[in-house]
Amino acid sequence: MNFEIDPTAPHSIVRRDFLKKLALGTAAALAAGEPRLLSAATGVIQPAPTADACILLWMGGGMAAPDTFDPKLYRPFKPGLAIKDTMSTFPDIETVVSGLRISQGLENIAKVMDRGTLIRSHIQPDLGSILHSRHQYHWHTGYVPPQTVACPHLGAWMAKVLGPRNPVIPPFINIGQRLEGVGEQEELKAFTTAGFFGSEFGPMNLPFPEAAAQSVRPPEGMDPGRFSSRYEQFKRLVKAGTQTSFVSDYQQESMLRSMENAHRLLNAKERSAFDINLEPKENLAVYDTGRFGRGCLLARRLVEAGARFVEVTTEYVPFLNWDTHANGHTTAADMKKQIDAPIDRLILDLEARGLLDRTLVILASEFSRDMMMEGKPGSNAADQTTEAVDVMTELKHYGLHRHFTAGSSVLMFGGGMKKGLVHGATSPDRPSVTIEKPVSVIDLHATILTAMGISPKTAYDVEKRPFYATADGVGVPVREIFA
Amino acid sequence: MIRPHRLLFTAAALALSVCPAWAGVDFSHQIVPILRKHCADCHMGEKKKGGFSLNDRVALLKGSENGPVAVPGKAGGSRLLELVLSTDPDEQMPPKGARLTGDETELLKAWIADGLPWEEGFTFSKPSYEPPLRPRRPELPPVVDGRENPVDRFIDKYFSDRKLPRPAEVDDGAFLRRASMDLIGLPPAPAELEAFVKDSDPGKRARLAGSLLARDTDYAEHWLTFWNDHLRNDYAGTGFITGGRSQISQWLYRALVTNMPYDEFARELVAPPKDDSAGFGAGIKWRGEVSAGQTVEIQFSQSISQTFLGINMKCASCHDSFIDRWKLTDAYGLAAIFSDKPMELYRCDKPTGKSAVASWVFPELGNVDAAASRPERLNQLAALLTHKENGRFSRTLVNRLWHRLMGRGLVYPPDSMGMQPWDADLLDFLGADFQDHGYDVKRTLVLIAGSQAYQMRAATLARDADDKGFVFTGPRAKRLTAEQFVDAVWAITGTAPAKPDAPIQRGKPAPAGAAELQGQWIWQPLGAQQPPPGETLAFRRTWTLGGKPVRAGAVVTVDNEYDLYVNGARIAGDKDWQTIDSVPLAGTLKPGDNEIVIVGKNAGSGPNLAAVYFDAAATLEDGGRSRLVSDTDWQWTATLPDAAGKFPPGTVWAQASEINGPWTANKGGEIKSLLAAVESGPQPMVRAALMKADFLMTTLGRPNRDQIVTVRPNDLTTLEAIDLANGPVLAGLMDKGAENILARNFPTPEACIQWLYESTLCRRPDAAELSIAKESMGGHLTVQGISDLLWMLLMTPEFQYVR
Repeated sequence: MNFEIDPTAPHSIVRRDFLKKLALGTAAALAAGEPRLLSAATGVIQPAPTADACILLWMGGGMAAPDTFDPKLYRPFKPGLAIKDTMSTFPDIETVVSGLRISQGLENIAKVMDRGTLIRSHIQPDLGSILHSRHQYHWHTGYVPPQTVACPHLGAWMAKVLGPRNPVIPPFINIGQRLEGVGEQEELKAFTTAGFFGSEFGPMNLPFPEAAAQSVRPPEGMDPGRFSSRYEQFKRLVKAGTQTSFVSDYQQESMLRSMENAHRLLNAKERSAFDINLEPKENLAVYDTGRFGRGCLLARRLVEAGARFVEVTTEYVPFLNWDTHANGHTTAADMKKQIDAPIDRLILDLEARGLLDRTLVILASEFSRDMMMEGKPGSNAADQTTEAVDVMTELKHYGLHRHFTAGSSVLMFGGGMKKGLVHGATSPDRPSVTIEKPVSVIDLHATILTAMGISPKTAYDVEKRPFYATADGVGVPVREIFA
Repeated sequence: MIRPHRLLFTAAALALSVCPAWAGVDFSHQIVPILRKHCADCHMGEKKKGGFSLNDRVALLKGSENGPVAVPGKAGGSRLLELVLSTDPDEQMPPKGARLTGDETELLKAWIADGLPWEEGFTFSKPSYEPPLRPRRPELPPVVDGRENPVDRFIDKYFSDRKLPRPAEVDDGAFLRRASMDLIGLPPAPAELEAFVKDSDPGKRARLAGSLLARDTDYAEHWLTFWNDHLRNDYAGTGFITGGRSQISQWLYRALVTNMPYDEFARELVAPPKDDSAGFGAGIKWRGEVSAGQTVEIQFSQSISQTFLGINMKCASCHDSFIDRWKLTDAYGLAAIFSDKPMELYRCDKPTGKSAVASWVFPELGNVDAAASRPERLNQLAALLTHKENGRFSRTLVNRLWHRLMGRGLVYPPDSMGMQPWDADLLDFLGADFQDHGYDVKRTLVLIAGSQAYQMRAATLARDADDKGFVFTGPRAKRLTAEQFVDAVWAITGTAPAKPDAPIQRGKPAPAGAAELQGQWIWQPLGAQQPPPGETLAFRRTWTLGGKPVRAGAVVTVDNEYDLYVNGARIAGDKDWQTIDSVPLAGTLKPGDNEIVIVGKNAGSGPNLAAVYFDAAATLEDGGRSRLVSDTDWQWTATLPDAAGKFPPGTVWAQASEINGPWTANKGGEIKSLLAAVESGPQPMVRAALMKADFLMTTLGRPNRDQIVTVRPNDLTTLEAIDLANGPVLAGLMDKGAENILARNFPTPEACIQWLYESTLCRRPDAAELSIAKESMGGHLTVQGISDLLWMLLMTPEFQYVR
């Protein structure tokens, strides 16, 4: 069976636009010596998209599947409990999908599990000693660092190949991750980029969702009148200039066009999408569980306004949030409070607006966690828990404190995915490795890209070598989860 | 205890998931090796047996003299497959040698069925151009119109051979800005512009490059950007937190500020005599395991090849390159020189069972001894790289310099030195000339920037002008680097940061035999124990000057913290004794008695040594000199001064005591050279190249230096434009900068407008511009008016390009 569509079949309007854009993009890119799309010669056929926009809900730091979407044997905490005797630190609860049980604390998400697919068999490579940012680089680009070229982020692929949905809204928006003043910030910056595609396709970073409106406003202390008149005067000044004949027209035009695009956004009505305080109070309150919750609201508003790809993260900060090296149970309870209501509301809001069918919402993390095992069976990864005990004596010992790469959970809502499906499984016994239908990072990327209408074999030429949307072009979409 | 598990099956499934067979045929990795192995002898390159060539897809589809051999999508009945499968000795392919394996035929079948996908632009034919390796010393073309610079003799011949008109020259202002931006990365100040325009000496343009390059610190701090990019050195970045990477900042800075000969420069990077230049070769080591194509040994191979030879070894790190002549064994040969253990050859991340043999890429010049020790091998590689017969080494560098100055390399892109230059004689001349004059980078820069060709107005072109082949019609305008942009803004607005991030000592190192340090490290006399943490003492001394000081400065540091007061005003302070501060004093000292007070504070968690070091020098109006150093003539007290540096009446003072510690041994050299610099005048502005990348610099294209970056992006993008329009970093600089400019007290708005134009664009506004600028500025000068006009000027393409 060929999953890619027949090129002779009629296509949607979106697709025709897309091809037109590709043709134009290629001609321009060729001339500019930019990364060149290598599709014509190798016969890559772009699939028909099942989604136009994508929201990635990133559980930075390693979300423990047994304490969230893949509950296992549960024993409540009591001093003297051996860590080998429990796999989850929360009881399971039922969901709206018959027979599907997830972890306590996710009662709201449990109500919308019939809108999406739960993958319980997502696996990561064994990279030896575990570094979060390295696995995050891999997850976000599909390539394990180091690499010889700077790899584009998943969102940059969508920005590059598909372009913006609305020309005034940047196609790739990254919400919630600070890139200054946090540990491993340089490692985070290394993949929060369009890489060799160039910054046109890179992220607009909005680390504080509540302050996002400021990033599309005139600078602090400058009123809008002065801001627009400064730009108007600038245009007059450039026009009046007689000394411009020493720079090629295309160079000047490209620069002036970018200035024009920027000011168009800064003056556009869509600007209001960045301001979450314009949301009705009742709805804002549901989302307002913290920065992540507010980020979900901002993501919804931006997708409504025409964003292509939005990532919202619980934020990766070493040893914080999902990065539980100690006190895992207490922290996980808190994290679930942050994500449960906003994710539920995000799905329902998108649905109510008729957007869910064409918006792919993904929840994922760089790996899972386990109470006993670091890495996966057979790995030589060094143990990194800060509370190494065999028998718990204090509550801080109760939690999934080791990094586990052999089975994590991914949620996929809307955007052409099946509804109420569970794909793959992990072992009921420890170690809870994937025992059915493993989905690698590269295949998950192939799935996401295919849903967005990008073939996993799409390649660009960089330094005269092909660089593929999934490494070596070999990612295969998980066909079973498409509706 | 972990129970045995079904895990083995899982692991097998995982391994499969990276096997390309799942996702259709991979031409580059699966088909190319089969065709090369079985068909090359008769059907590739010049060979065309039976009229059939496999060089490219067009030739393949054309087939043989007997008709098509393969039709896309039709594997059944394919002549190619028939011949490959045939057992008839008269027709089977290949006629001799090993038959194709079952797997290989299946792949070919799948490839045909898939529609014969082919890597765009890929060909099996030999490249039509093979660059020379050895240096060439082409004869200089005759002098035309008295234009004697060798660069002009080649360029004039180029123009006359092609019957191209010689482009006109730019005016003085544009030339001054171009040379200044290119060679030292700073815009000329209005006073420099005025002086240059007024200078009636016809040789002033030819002379300019030399005088700019004589500004050693400015030169070093500009070219640091170029070299940090080429050597992927930075002050923060991937790998530093896990200790997997080390900086070469101080070594690099010193190499630039002293104009270290380039052969020596390369040798010290390849075979580091000390740790301070080892970071480039050592690469980035990530915690955990990496693929075979990304080990630090392979990184070494790639980095050396790219930076010094313009060779892309990235393809060949994984498999024999499809695009040039480099093979897996070449990549591993260089890697094995660096490796401290035997290396196995991996092809596409799979072991081959073969061992890598240490060797280098141009064995015709000699080779490394694979049996020698690692340091010997590295020395041998360094010697081969800089071998007098290795013309590739010099050509690669002079081409990079030409690219920076003229906007486009003689070979382009500058990392692809296997490509044909548009003027091979000129490239070869520049390379040999560079080598014959001691690999002196500044000399080559003067040669290029001193030419008439460098004075030509920039070529203005359509975007697709080079598609039909490059023609030189003059230099190309270059977009300012992030560092040039930021340096210009800082210089114009006086908003540069006070201290560099780079862990380097600025300026030229003190010459050997410079005056010995005269100061002593002082504290109160040591008791039974070393000073407790938090102990805070004040020290004082009166400095009597016999006249007005015209130049004065001090070098000061205290283990661990200090505040320095001169005549009751606090003028400096620092909490890190490792940072030696140099403090200009000319404005704060007066003739007669000056009171110097230092409040020093010990830190740490237990008793530890503490001490103050102070060393000041002043040059007086009459040329006389005075020096004041910390010694036992200073007095100390535990009573601390108030905010105005005044002590309460009745404060008890006692003589300070010399403390012996490790300080002078560790920091003496740095103090000496800072003192030399402080005496000779104020420290130049801190440059962007010395700072970690901030949002503004990232916006303007300063790269993350995980990879070597030799060409920066040339276009401004929309996201960048948003940041320039409302980003807090630039907005902050505009606000603060406009206040500084307002404080210059221009007599009229016109004077300020003219100054802004001269500062940013190196010219005066014309009438139309002046009228718009005046209108925008309003009737009188305000911070807002200045800020807005400055922003407008910074946003013009004319500013953002070196034209």
